[in-house]
Amino acid sequence: MTGGISWFWGLLAQAAHGGGAEQDVSAAWNAHMLEEVADAHHFSVPFLGIEQDLPLWPPLHVGSLTVDLSPTKHVIWLLIAATLCALTMVWVARRTRARAAQRAPTGLANVIEAFVIYLRDEVAMRNIGKGGERYVPFVLTVFFFILFMNLLGLVPFGATATGNISVTAALALLSLLVIEIGGLLHLGPGRYLRTIVYVPEGLRWYMQIPMAIVMTPVEAMAKLARIFALAIRLFANMTAGHFVILALVGLIFIAGASAGSIKYVIWIGPVLMAVAIMLLEMFVALLQAYIFTMLTSVFIGLVRHPH
Amino acid sequence: MLLASRLRRRIAPLVRRLAALQAVAGLLLFSAGPLFAQEAGGGGSPVFSINPGLMIWTWVIFLLLLFVLRKWAWGPILGTLEAREKRIQEALEGAAREREEAGQLLEQQRQLLEGSRERAQQILAEGRKAAERLRSELLDEARAQKDQIVARAKDEIGRERDQALEVLRRETVDLSIAAAGRVLQKNLDAEDNRRLVEEYLERLALERGKVS
Repeated sequence: MTGGISWFWGLLAQAAHGGGAEQDVSAAWNAHMLEEVADAHHFSVPFLGIEQDLPLWPPLHVGSLTVDLSPTKHVIWLLIAATLCALTMVWVARRTRARAAQRAPTGLANVIEAFVIYLRDEVAMRNIGKGGERYVPFVLTVFFFILFMNLLGLVPFGATATGNISVTAALALLSLLVIEIGGLLHLGPGRYLRTIVYVPEGLRWYMQIPMAIVMTPVEAMAKLARIFALAIRLFANMTAGHFVILALVGLIFIAGASAGSIKYVIWIGPVLMAVAIMLLEMFVALLQAYIFTMLTSVFIGLVRHPH
Repeated sequence: MLLASRLRRRIAPLVRRLAALQAVAGLLLFSAGPLFAQEAGGGGSPVFSINPGLMIWTWVIFLLLLFVLRKWAWGPILGTLEAREKRIQEALEGAAREREEAGQLLEQQRQLLEGSRERAQQILAEGRKAAERLRSELLDEARAQKDQIVARAKDEIGRERDQALEVLRRETVDLSIAAAGRVLQKNLDAEDNRRLVEEYLERLALERGKVS
C-alpha cells in the first residue's frame, strides 16, 4: 500500500517547485490515498521491480449486466492470498500428519492447529450446533482466506482484497447462500419458509395474518441486512485502517511542503501514530476475519434453530 | 480455556449487538455512497463501486481454495486432530480403568492379607487349644496310668505279702512240726500232729481275721 510513496515524492517535488502550496499537496495526497486503496488494472510491487499492466479483456454482456472479467490488482492479491493460504495449510496438514504418531505438534503447525480447534469447537460447533461438522471446512476456509487477505494489506507494497467492497460482497453473498441453502436442507421447505414468513404462535388466525404481513418484510430484511452488514463491516474496517495510516503518512508530506522549520520535526508524531495504528491493524485483521466467520456461523445456527 | 470461554460469553452478545448496529450504520453509509462518489469527482468513487467481474473472481478463487483445502488440508488436519483427541480420550479412559483395576487389586490384596492374618490367628488359636487339650489329655492319661501303676503295685505288694505270709506260715508250720516232732517223736504220728497244728493255726487265723 505504500507503493506509491516514491511516486509521490516526485509529485511533491513538483508541487514544491510550483509554489509550495500545502493545499496542492494535500489534494494530491487525497487522490493518491484513493488510488492506493482502490482497485486498478495495474499490478506493481516496486520493491521487487514489478510494474505490470494487466490485460484488458472485452466485457461480457449478460442481459443488461456488463461483466468485466479482466484481472485487476485485487484479483492478483486474491490469488496470492489463496495460494499462500493453500500452501500454508497443506504444509501444516502434511506436518501434522507426519508427526501425529510420534509427538505433539510444534511451531506454526501448532498455532494453526489451535486456530482450527478453536474455530471448530467454539465457532462452528457451538453456534451451529449438532450437524455443524459439515460446515467446519467452509468456516475454516472463510476464516483463513479472509485472514490472509487482511494480513497481506499490512505487508509493504501489499494490498487488501478485503478492502474492496466487491470482494467482501461476494464473500457475504456466498455466506448467504450457505446459510439459506443449509437452512433449507436442514429444516425442509415448510419450516424453512416460516423463517421468512413469520407466523407468531399462540395467536388467533385473524391476528396471525396481519402479524405475518407485517413481520415478513422485517424477517426478509433482517436476512439481507445482516449479510449486507457482513460485507460492509469487513470492507469498512479494512479500508478505514488503510486510510488512517495513509492520512498519517500524508501529514508528513503536507508538513514537508510548508515553509516553516517545523517540517523537520513534524514527522515524529505521524510516524509514531502510524506505527500504533499498524499494530492495531494487525489485531483488526485477525478480529475482522474472526467476526466475519463467527457471524456467519451464528447465522447458520439461527436459520437451523428458528425461534 | 476457561478464561477464553468466559470471555466469549461476555463478548458474544456484545458482538451481536454491535453487528446489528453496524448493519444499520452500513446501510446508511452505503446509501450515502453515491454522494461520496459524486463528491470525489463524477463517475463514482472507485472505492464504493461494485465490480461484478471481481465478484466472480472472488467466488471462483474461494471455491477453488475451499476445494483444495478441504481435500488436502482440512481433511488431514481434522482427521489427525480427531484421531489424537480419540487417542488422548482412550489413554485417559485407559488410565482411569487401570487405576480402578489397581485399586481393585489393592483391595483384593488387602482382603487377602486380612484373610491370611485372620487365618493365622485362627490356626494359632487352634494350635493353642489343641496343645491345651493334648496337655490335659496327656496329664489325665499320665494320672490314670500312675493310678493304675500304683494300684497294680499295691495289688502286687498285697499278693506278695500274702504269698510271703503263706510261705512264712508254711515254713512256720514245718518248723513247728519239725520242732514238735523232735519233742513228740515217739508217740505222735507226724501226720496226726500236723493235722492238729494246722487246725489250731486255722483257728488262730480265723480269730485273727475276726480281730483285724
